[in-house]
Amino acid sequence: MGDISHLVQFFFSGLTTGSIYALIAVSLVIVYKVSQLICFSQGEFFIFGALIMVTLTSKGIPMPLAFVLSILIAMAIGALIQQALIRPIQGSSIGALIVMTIAISLALRGLAMLIWGRESHILRPFTQGTPLQIFGATLQLQVFWIVGITAVVLLLIWLFFEKTSLGIAMRACAENPLGASLMGISVQKTALFAWAWGSGIGALAGIAVAPLMFMQYTSGVMPMVKGFIAMSIGGLSSIVGSVIAGLLLGVIESYTIGVISSKFSDTIVFALLMVVLIARPNGLFSKS
Amino acid sequence: MDKIKKVWWLIPVVIIFLYPVTVGGKSAYWSGILVFAGIYVILAVGLDLLMGFTGQISVGHAAFFAVGAYTSAVLTVKYGFSPVLAMFAGMFLSGILAWMIGRPVLALKEYYLAMATLAFNEIIITLIVGFENITGGASGLRDIPPFSIFGLVLDNHLHYYYFVWAIVLIVIASSVLIIRSPFGRTLVAIHSDEVAARTFGVDCAKYKTRVFVLANVFASIAGSLFAHSMGFIAPDDFGVSTSVNILVMLFLGGIGTIYGPILGAIFLKLLPEITYLVQDYELLLNGVILIIVLVFMPKGIYGIFTTLRNRVFEKAGK
Repeated sequence: MGDISHLVQFFFSGLTTGSIYALIAVSLVIVYKVSQLICFSQGEFFIFGALIMVTLTSKGIPMPLAFVLSILIAMAIGALIQQALIRPIQGSSIGALIVMTIAISLALRGLAMLIWGRESHILRPFTQGTPLQIFGATLQLQVFWIVGITAVVLLLIWLFFEKTSLGIAMRACAENPLGASLMGISVQKTALFAWAWGSGIGALAGIAVAPLMFMQYTSGVMPMVKGFIAMSIGGLSSIVGSVIAGLLLGVIESYTIGVISSKFSDTIVFALLMVVLIARPNGLFSKS
Repeated sequence: MDKIKKVWWLIPVVIIFLYPVTVGGKSAYWSGILVFAGIYVILAVGLDLLMGFTGQISVGHAAFFAVGAYTSAVLTVKYGFSPVLAMFAGMFLSGILAWMIGRPVLALKEYYLAMATLAFNEIIITLIVGFENITGGASGLRDIPPFSIFGLVLDNHLHYYYFVWAIVLIVIASSVLIIRSPFGRTLVAIHSDEVAARTFGVDCAKYKTRVFVLANVFASIAGSLFAHSMGFIAPDDFGVSTSVNILVMLFLGGIGTIYGPILGAIFLKLLPEITYLVQDYELLLNGVILIIVLVFMPKGIYGIFTTLRNRVFEKAGK
């Protein structure tokens, strides 16, 4: 009995962290799909979302309103950064673009430290209540929120990219920027949109997990790296692939920590990434 | 005028040698900082060969910095090796390791290469943290003996200063020679167009692997110097954030110029000494400075320097 309850417990916690990785990976994929840019500052939107939400709720703003506000603020910051900092250096080498997003990440992290200090903050759960017991494993209610939010967001993104003309325009920009601009699609506007969206989803991931995790100005780094891994394993521009990879990564990580050793779980995860990159450079789930 | 143009590099060399005699002779504190800066110069120059000249992105340059430092530290602390021997062992190990992973990893391009190098850096760090009984785990290794060459122990801050900067000068000089050699020109060709280089019969994979090995042997030397001069190392010194720092030095100083990254490394290592008064703003300031450089000075600090130099020469020429 004890063993089963452990295995179920690992599965639950894997699914929870996996959802977060998937969300971050999706936020990266959206920016990449449109502007062929991997944004190394996505982890900072994760903490900004969470910490803005903490501040707003502590000011007495009701949860749902604070939720919407935090995401909107993060989207505005993302759009502003794209407009002011990424646009001027478009067309630079990939190295320069990577370093630019790293610089943005440093600046945002420094800003977060000035605003919220070095101490940790925790958000109260979205809904109060005792955790569920399933096969002897505990399941926090917040997990339902995380998984639910992830599912809804993914559905919306899928609908957006497949069914709306703007979404199709964004995909066109990714595949052929010149052709898209000739067809009257503003590559610049879609890039701005993608950044706002990406930042919003990154923030959403942070907000969702904030009740389960202590958040401080450096907390965005590791989830971001795991998001990258999920994205790379899934194939850089595949939303479905990176979601599956994110969930898988969460579960694998959880089982290696629980069953093998917590010391080498990251070694295994990173080794897995290298193997996938070398063996299938376009990701596990790519069609080609 | 042309003669001055050819020997301008003598000026910094003279400054390096005169520093201890003039201002720095008494301050162990400043010598320590300059030793630290010199170690980063070695790292930055190595990465510049790989990234600036060959165009291969690495977000994991600190991995081999770690290999060098830990080989040196473990061999001297636990097995009583002499530091010189330990340093060569580190170089050898790094070379072999770089040669082994170089070919498969460097077959990747752009972001995929960035991810793979980042992953490799993390693997090295997690292994160091994991094998506690050898490496001391997260709490690090202490009491690493100071460097000694043929019985002469470097126990004075000036000894270290001269030793490290002599190696820095050797690394810089050899990098400049490499870049001007046929090998270096092949690297530049691979950077500008790998497909074209291949059509001309260049074995790109071989050349990329070679420069990868070279850059990482440099990083390993830097690691050994770091371990012996600090006397204490911990995994935090070698993480992805260190790799990112080296990357930043390249772009700050001016990538693909050898001299630029040197300036970038020195600038970034001296910056905390200038900004210590505003410690809370340090992170923000680093980010903002880098953003300004990237947007307004795509050629970095060295770009300003060369523009100024050319202007001076133009005026003098008239």
